[in-house]
Amino acid sequence: MKYEELEERMDQNAVHVRYNVEIEGPAIKPEDDDDVVSILPTEEPFKSIALAVLYEDRDASLKNVQKALNDGISPIEIINNGLMKGMDAVNVLYTKGFYFLPDLMLAGDGMMEGVKECEKVLGHKSETKGTAVSFVAEGDPHDIGKNLVVMFLRAGGYEAIDMGRDVPTTEVVKAVKEYKPILLTGTALMTTTMTVFPKVVAALQKEGLEVPAIGCGGGAVRKDFVESFPMSVYGVEAYHAPRLADAIVKDHKNWKDLRKEYSSIVGEFVSEYS
Amino acid sequence: MKRFTKMAYKNPDEMVFGRAKYPTSQRWNTQIGAGYVVPEIKVAPVEGSEETKEQMVSECRNITQSACDRAVSIGLPAFMVEQEHIFQQTNNPEWTADCTQAQAEILEKYHDEYDIKVSLMATPADIRIEERHPGLRGSDYDNKVIESIEASAANGASCVAIETMGGKSVSDYGIARGDPKAILFGIGVLGSIDMEYMWKRIVDICKKYDCRPAGDTDCAQANTAMFMAGGLLDKDCSHTLAALTRAIAGARSLVAVECGAIGPLKDCGYENPIIKSISGVPICMEGKNAVCAHSDLMGNLTAAVCDVWSNESVYHRQEMGGTTPEVWLQATGYEAALMNTAHQTGEEKTLRDLYTLTDKYRDPQGLVLAYDNAHRIGEAIVKYGKNPYLRARAAALEAGAIINEAVDAKKMYLTRFERDSLDSALKIFEELPTDSEQFIDECLRKYSRKIAEFDPKSYEL
Repeated sequence: MKYEELEERMDQNAVHVRYNVEIEGPAIKPEDDDDVVSILPTEEPFKSIALAVLYEDRDASLKNVQKALNDGISPIEIINNGLMKGMDAVNVLYTKGFYFLPDLMLAGDGMMEGVKECEKVLGHKSETKGTAVSFVAEGDPHDIGKNLVVMFLRAGGYEAIDMGRDVPTTEVVKAVKEYKPILLTGTALMTTTMTVFPKVVAALQKEGLEVPAIGCGGGAVRKDFVESFPMSVYGVEAYHAPRLADAIVKDHKNWKDLRKEYSSIVGEFVSEYS
Repeated sequence: MKRFTKMAYKNPDEMVFGRAKYPTSQRWNTQIGAGYVVPEIKVAPVEGSEETKEQMVSECRNITQSACDRAVSIGLPAFMVEQEHIFQQTNNPEWTADCTQAQAEILEKYHDEYDIKVSLMATPADIRIEERHPGLRGSDYDNKVIESIEASAANGASCVAIETMGGKSVSDYGIARGDPKAILFGIGVLGSIDMEYMWKRIVDICKKYDCRPAGDTDCAQANTAMFMAGGLLDKDCSHTLAALTRAIAGARSLVAVECGAIGPLKDCGYENPIIKSISGVPICMEGKNAVCAHSDLMGNLTAAVCDVWSNESVYHRQEMGGTTPEVWLQATGYEAALMNTAHQTGEEKTLRDLYTLTDKYRDPQGLVLAYDNAHRIGEAIVKYGKNPYLRARAAALEAGAIINEAVDAKKMYLTRFERDSLDSALKIFEELPTDSEQFIDECLRKYSRKIAEFDPKSYEL
């Protein structure tokens, strides 16, 4: 029987179902979502600034921020009441499944553009929730996971120091000394590069250094391996990073707490921690 | 360098698993694509084995020994071991030499003793770092990769493969932001340029030894899109954009064959059916027996025109049924046995079609790789075969047309995100310049500024 005839005989639904299509709700305007409404500012110019971030419009974001600065609005207020509110709304829509990673990345680009403009007026870096340091294990050139972690941390209001890929352990130790991060993140794709993580821990301990937690994740990285040495927590998804950071900053959690309470801290079922 | 401007297969119905227009012969009496499917086993060295050369050699020896034991225990007529090298192996070519030699000795022993057909694919890692001076070309890492290729070829590998990373800085940017132009530039242009640089040297090395230049995959780029696209409910990359990315990868990975690679093209290259349709070389594929490594949405469809069937990768450890080299070779071995039974009974095209129909409309990514559609994308590529940019663009446009036709026929259903990102990408691709230099100039201006890791000098641009 010919291929086409076989195809015509099939009921596709008996073989597979595109559940993503099946469960899709009606289209809504992002600013009409109830949770977004509760986050977005109602007063100008903050409303327009936040909406430009929400709509991932980098040019509008820059233009709105420049206008507000020219009108004498405080750069701190622009960041906190405009740009960050827009980003908070984006994060909510991402969590709810209305927005996707590209939305988050583009909105983040728009927000950062505005923040840089504000920092020019401030004359220094704006205040963040804290500093995180992110690296890819020595010997590993795969960095997309690290790039996502950095992006999610920045979108979540943290300064994320991006150390790049194939980073020697000595450089990681130097960065910890310099930045005193609230969270260190390490990523690796391979079983034979994830072995760098305990070496980083040993090198930190040798120098008498400690960080609240080292988030370790990536392709072949396993929870049981990560939990075989101290100071570490196995990170499952890149977007969990700012939630773990929030738990460290706001609730003073450390790596032991994060291991125990991972699912509740990130606010969702995580099979690795079930 | 020759460029493909004609299809090896005039009719997609000629394509089937286990048979390639141009089979390859390797040492140890192994043929690939010569009428039977060869199962493949690939195992990642256990953590800690990277500490010393002796430990790594021992690890490679153990993996190979386990696979050989199980192969003869269950009566496999043929099998392939692939060793994807870790950083330490490639960065220390003497490690590569000793590991390859140890593996080759075991395989040869089993071949001599049982007359089993065996093959060793060595895959040095592309450890080059674009943003680190002097970039992709001429760095110490670049030299180590080439030395490691030679160490593999000189010490008993049947064939060598690699997964080059050229253009990844730009394509990663594009995949994360849903920017189709960056994806096309990163894979179709930069990836193709870098492959030419790498593969001319690899082919020259292989000519000196009894070792075949096998092939490259776009694992670093198109598989990044596929992994991020994830399952149906994931939300990191649109599945339609991942499908177009795969089609673009077909135009890119073809460069290895144009430089002289003869297959089997390495697994991980889900774009391989497109390249087989154009070039006729045999291909490795992975799908349902690679669930130990990752999930995809086309577990059966990928078997339809494979010549080697792989497990992709698995931790080296103990399962209930034995060690992972034993267990997963058994899995790929029995699937290959089904395909070979189909050949022996003349039912190979029926099985091929069943494999295909199982997943054809599960997801747009599988749809564009169904062998008839892969052939269509191949035809679009060869129409502009001499120009890497134009053929990559043509591949993407054809993949888009295939998806749209299936949607119109109410066979493929898309979410709004998939629909919107497809429409947006196709509009962007259609409006792009038809002049390659103009496109490259535009992209250099745009992405050199936005992507810190991107170094045009690495591509002589």
